[in-house]
Parts: sequence; C-alpha cells; structure tokens
Amino acid sequence: MYATADMLLTSPAPAAPEQTHETAIEVVLVKAVLEGDRDGFTRLYDLYAPLVHGILLARVPRAEVDDLVQDIFLHAYKKLHTLRDSSLFGPWIAMIARNRAVDFHRRKHETVEINDELRGSNTQDSRATEILELIRNLPEAYRETLVLRLVEGMTGPEIAGRTGLTAASVRVNLHRGMKLLREQLGFMEGL
Amino acid sequence: MNDDYLWDKTGEPDPQVQELEEILGTLRYQPKPLQIPNELTLPQRRNYFPWVAIAAGVLLAILAGGIWLSTRSRSDAPQRQAEVTAPAPVKEVTPSVPKTPERKNEPREEVVAVVHKHRPRSSTPILSKGEREEALMAKEQVMIALRLTTEKLSLVHKKTQNTSPVNQIKNQHRVG
Repeated sequence: MYATADMLLTSPAPAAPEQTHETAIEVVLVKAVLEGDRDGFTRLYDLYAPLVHGILLARVPRAEVDDLVQDIFLHAYKKLHTLRDSSLFGPWIAMIARNRAVDFHRRKHETVEINDELRGSNTQDSRATEILELIRNLPEAYRETLVLRLVEGMTGPEIAGRTGLTAASVRVNLHRGMKLLREQLGFMEGL
Repeated sequence: MNDDYLWDKTGEPDPQVQELEEILGTLRYQPKPLQIPNELTLPQRRNYFPWVAIAAGVLLAILAGGIWLSTRSRSDAPQRQAEVTAPAPVKEVTPSVPKTPERKNEPREEVVAVVHKHRPRSSTPILSKGEREEALMAKEQVMIALRLTTEKLSLVHKKTQNTSPVNQIKNQHRVG
C-alpha cells in the first residue's frame, strides 16, 4: 500500500523526454508514409513490432502471434490515413492489437496449443512457456505490462511512452503484477 | 522494497526479476521483415476542406436567398393587401351615399375619389385583431389534435409491435 503510494508520488520524470523523442519520430514517419514513403512504415514496424508482439503474447497462443503481428501492421498501413494525431501512433496500434486479440478469441479458432511441442524443444523454453501461462492468468491490467517488461525487455518509461498509459499506472501495474507473479511462482519448483 | 530495477533497470538488480528476464527473453520478438504487398496502396488522407467549403457556400447562398425572399415578401405584402381590400371600402362607401342626399347628384368621379381617400385604411391586415387571435387559436387546436393523433398512432404501432394478435383484438377498444 505504502509502496504504491510512494510510487505514485515519485513517478519518474525521465519518461517525458524519451516519450517526446519517440513521438517526434512517429510524427515524421507517419507524415512520410502518408506522402508515399513505404520505408517509413518499415521503420515504424521496426519500432513498434515488439510492442505489438508483447500485447499479443499476453493474450493469444504463441503460435499465432507472429502472423497476427504482420496482419496488424498491414491493417495499420491501410488505415493509417484515419489516424488523426500522428503522435498517437503507439496507442493507436496497441489498440488495434488488443482488438485483434479479442477478435481472435471471438472467432473461436480451433487451435491446438502446441505447448507440448514447445516444451519438448528445451528446458529453458518450456519453463518460459509455463511462466508465460502464469502471467496470462493474472488480471488483465498486469498481463500486458509484465510481458512487455519481462519478455520484450522494455523499461517502464518505454512502456508508458509507447502504449500511451501514464507512467504512474504502468509502475503500479508492474509492481502489483510482479507481486502476484512472485506469489504464483512460489508454488513452482526450481525457481 | 525498492523496485527501481523492475521499473527502469536502474538501481540494485533484483535477482528474481533478472532470472525471469533471462527465461522469458527466449520468447522475445524475433525481428522479421514486414512484407507490404505491392498492390497494397495507401489511401491518401482525405481532405474534406473543399467539400466543406462548397457545402458552406451553398448553405449561405440558400440562407441569403431565403432572407431576401422573406424581406421582399414582407415589403410586398401591404401593397397586395391594399389591392385586395381596395373594393371593400367601395361597398362601405356606397351605402353611405344615400344617407347624404346632397351627394346624390354629384358626378361619379367623386365617389371614386372617396375610394381613393379610404385607401390608406386598406393597408391594415385582412384579418382584424380578434379574427387573427381566433385563427391562431384554431391553428393551435389543430396542432394539438395532430399531436394527439400522432401519439395515438404511435401507441397503436407500439401495441401492434409488442402484443400478440389475441391481445391486439382485446386492446382494440383502447386504440379506438
């Protein structure tokens, strides 16, 4: 409780400059793409693919994630002219990814989880899949933030800057999510 | 507990977080080139400004025309009323003629002159104030009646939509 309040009060200032820098890049790139520069979109893809990958990994089966990432970016390319504020490319594509994950579950794909196959490849990978499964069972607010931090290796300020969430809420989500994950991991052997 | 490392990878590293990073890092995004099909063209951001400007222009023109027509008809109205009501005073004047025996032998032109004398009076509206109020009352009553009818019709419509055919028959007296 105190930790949360403390975190809210000491929400980091460094997030702002990074966010501004990224936002400036986004604005330039979106403008370039709208003027017909396809390479600009490739650059946006390079910047935001980890974010989209993380968002999907927290929601859909691992085997589907890569194809969905491509689909989402192609969809975003087609709909880029509808983006009113170029500086909000990150939150916009994050929202597309979340919606696509919801659609995926709505369609009720008859997918067979290939966890066993993945588990069989090596021990590290199987443990990773198990932990990811634990994260997926956490409340929705914590899932995405934890995957972006622990899987994609993004820092809290980066997560806030790219998803459009406030630094304070990202920090709270990380803290609470990690606390719950630690509790869950207490039941697992060997960690 | 200080969770700076969890937040922005600064401060004293948390061994459990580090271990999780190491294990889960195997699932990290592996860069793959995005393949945009050549036939996929980017729709240009639509510029609605010219259309909005044209629409606004047309709307303004219509408004200006409407205002002009209304002011014109207002300025025309008294003349038309005068023309229409012009014969009325003649009727009023004519019976009064016998009352004045001196005028009996006067030439017809004078009667016409009398008519012209009364012309300014004809600029008053066709309806008197009382009549106008009565007309407005009547209009209001018609409007109320129309509103009531609409309400009743919508009620009937709702009932027919919501009730079964048996109930429709039962409720017919309410509708009527």
